[in-house]
Amino acid sequence: MTTSGDVTSLPSEDATAEQIQPVPKIALKNVTRTFGDFTAVDDVSIDIGDGEFVVLLGPSGCGKSTLLRMIAGLQTVSGGSIEIEGREAQDSEPDERDLAFVFQNYALYPHMSVRRNMSFPLIMRRHRWWHHIPGVGWWSRRSIERTPEVTERISRIANILGLEEMLHRMPATLSGGQRQRVALGRAMVREPLAFLMDEPLSNLDAKLRAQTRSELIQFHQLLETTTVYVTHDQVEAMTMGDKIGVMLDGRLQQFGTPRDVYENPANTFVAQFIGTPAMNLLPARLVESGWDVGGQVLAPSPSLLEVTRRATSEDDGFLLGIRSEWATLVDADHPNALTGTVVSVEDWGAEQLVRVKLATTEPDEHTSILDTHEHSLDVRVPSQRRVRVGESVGLAVETAETRAFDTRSGLSLTPS
Amino acid sequence: MLNDTKTPVSRAPSTSAAARRRHAPLRRRLGRGLTYLVAGIAIVVLLFPVYWMIVTSLTADRDLASFPPRLLPDFSQVGVYVDTLVDTPILLWLANSAVIAIGTCICTIVLAFFAAYALSRFRFKGQGVFGFTLFATQMLPEALLVVPFYALFISLGLLNNLGGLVLAHTAFVMPVVVWLLKSAIDGIPVEVEESARIDGASPLRIVTLIVAPLVSPSIAAGAIVAFFYGWDEFLFATTFVTDEGARPASVGLASFVGEYFIPVNQVMAASVIYTLPAIVFFIALQRYVVSGLVAGSVKG
Repeated sequence: MTTSGDVTSLPSEDATAEQIQPVPKIALKNVTRTFGDFTAVDDVSIDIGDGEFVVLLGPSGCGKSTLLRMIAGLQTVSGGSIEIEGREAQDSEPDERDLAFVFQNYALYPHMSVRRNMSFPLIMRRHRWWHHIPGVGWWSRRSIERTPEVTERISRIANILGLEEMLHRMPATLSGGQRQRVALGRAMVREPLAFLMDEPLSNLDAKLRAQTRSELIQFHQLLETTTVYVTHDQVEAMTMGDKIGVMLDGRLQQFGTPRDVYENPANTFVAQFIGTPAMNLLPARLVESGWDVGGQVLAPSPSLLEVTRRATSEDDGFLLGIRSEWATLVDADHPNALTGTVVSVEDWGAEQLVRVKLATTEPDEHTSILDTHEHSLDVRVPSQRRVRVGESVGLAVETAETRAFDTRSGLSLTPS
Repeated sequence: MLNDTKTPVSRAPSTSAAARRRHAPLRRRLGRGLTYLVAGIAIVVLLFPVYWMIVTSLTADRDLASFPPRLLPDFSQVGVYVDTLVDTPILLWLANSAVIAIGTCICTIVLAFFAAYALSRFRFKGQGVFGFTLFATQMLPEALLVVPFYALFISLGLLNNLGGLVLAHTAFVMPVVVWLLKSAIDGIPVEVEESARIDGASPLRIVTLIVAPLVSPSIAAGAIVAFFYGWDEFLFATTFVTDEGARPASVGLASFVGEYFIPVNQVMAASVIYTLPAIVFFIALQRYVVSGLVAGSVKG
């Protein structure tokens, strides 16, 4: 028991350590949002550091947009707290949080020019009640827009975004990509504490999306402003995020760096949601000499076998996670390789995706023309290697890379 | 086999299609001519009463009952307009009508806009019932409500009061305008308003700076509806206004009809004068209504 007097006279080592810890820019603590009986966001806790680009990723309806709207203040919080720069902010108004939001449909003001759209947040800062008087308001908004400070800032941002030529144009006359940049510009002129972006690229076509994605990365490197970005596109998440939060059914499944989430998925959902193709999950069992995959035995290193042995029992079985690049197509008689038959080949240009159905001792009850066999896996093969459907092949698996998951809970059994 | 049966079938329409193509210019011309003819007849039917009003106002007394009737105006009779303006308090009546119409217009638009915004954007208990009961006033004929309104106006001291007429007219026209504006506000993406909230706009600023300009075509349409309701309303005006000085022009026009004599040309001249401000008001707002049809297609 420490008295307050002790603390003031002689700070403990723990207290000093706490002071050194940087305060996260945005901290979500057990944030929950319910709509009646439905829980949209369930007990989510994330710390977002200064200058970090955090991506919230998940399928439609997983609660990622609701979470972002709660950070922005557009949605109330049912439980937990949101701290912005160490201050509790869950009850404050959206404009008091000093965050900028970029909407999926851009949400530009259709009746205002690009310049007015971009200067609107700055005009609002100086707006007074008497500006509601017709005529006075028009004149005051115009004069605020023409102040050197506002003009200079608009020009600077327009220059960064390549919007100088469009400042006088109306949003309706701009293309999707240009509107997206105006929306970004409107967010940037405020110089906010953080950018919140809700699927800002989803309305763009594939080519423009890739281009704008790389532009966003450049802007982030230039501005170094904390960004929370919501998407359902795992390619965007992997390429843009410093950290990724994967969500499902309102719960945060995993929060970590893209590499970590890709290589060490916390559960089978993350393993299959991240990566194209999804991680192969093969039912396996622990046997004396290694892992039994449908009757074929893989022999991992003794230490890895020991790890699996500690996490699972011989009766239970587990799911063996193999990314498509962790297995190499070899000849069928290759030692310590799984054998199987090629069931399909997808040519991707530089490489091909080969689906191999493993030879198993279990009876094959599948009559469907679709390949739903649980002992099938996708493998990336360089396009120089000719692969034919029906060919018997071997698969050399890098067992050290593989991940094991609990059959029932889906949780990872492999320590990261 | 399949081809054998298909070939003649597929050939037949192609022959008739070629024939159709040959006759296309003639058909198109005939079709267009018919459209113009129908439109022309409709215009003549619609404008003839207006034309007849002008012709009658410019017809000498002796020619009014002549047969065949005079179809062209007699411009030597233009003095009837001067007489009407000088001899009758028509300018005062027009001013009264303008106060009532503009008052109704402003009250209706302000009240209806905020009511429509609330109905469109807020969720509250009894929302559906509230929206429906707005139409309760529309379901009863005005003539049925004159007596209770009269009793109410006596107790509130609103008889012979232009403000009273503005209130009564606003109550009747507002529901229509509320629904007109509600459907317009429904069409604005809510994200535009959320974006303004984040940009630091208060709810009142969002409504005045974002929502109102975006629904301005509907506001103009609502303003026209409310203005004309106030401008040409007769039943309430003739019941609640007995003082000649507070009469609107609609009641004033009716006062020309005497027991033994109706000065038809003067009534028509007064009618022309009466319709002119309304036409000017309509033309002034019309372009906003038309531009609204195009602006609606612009995505947020």
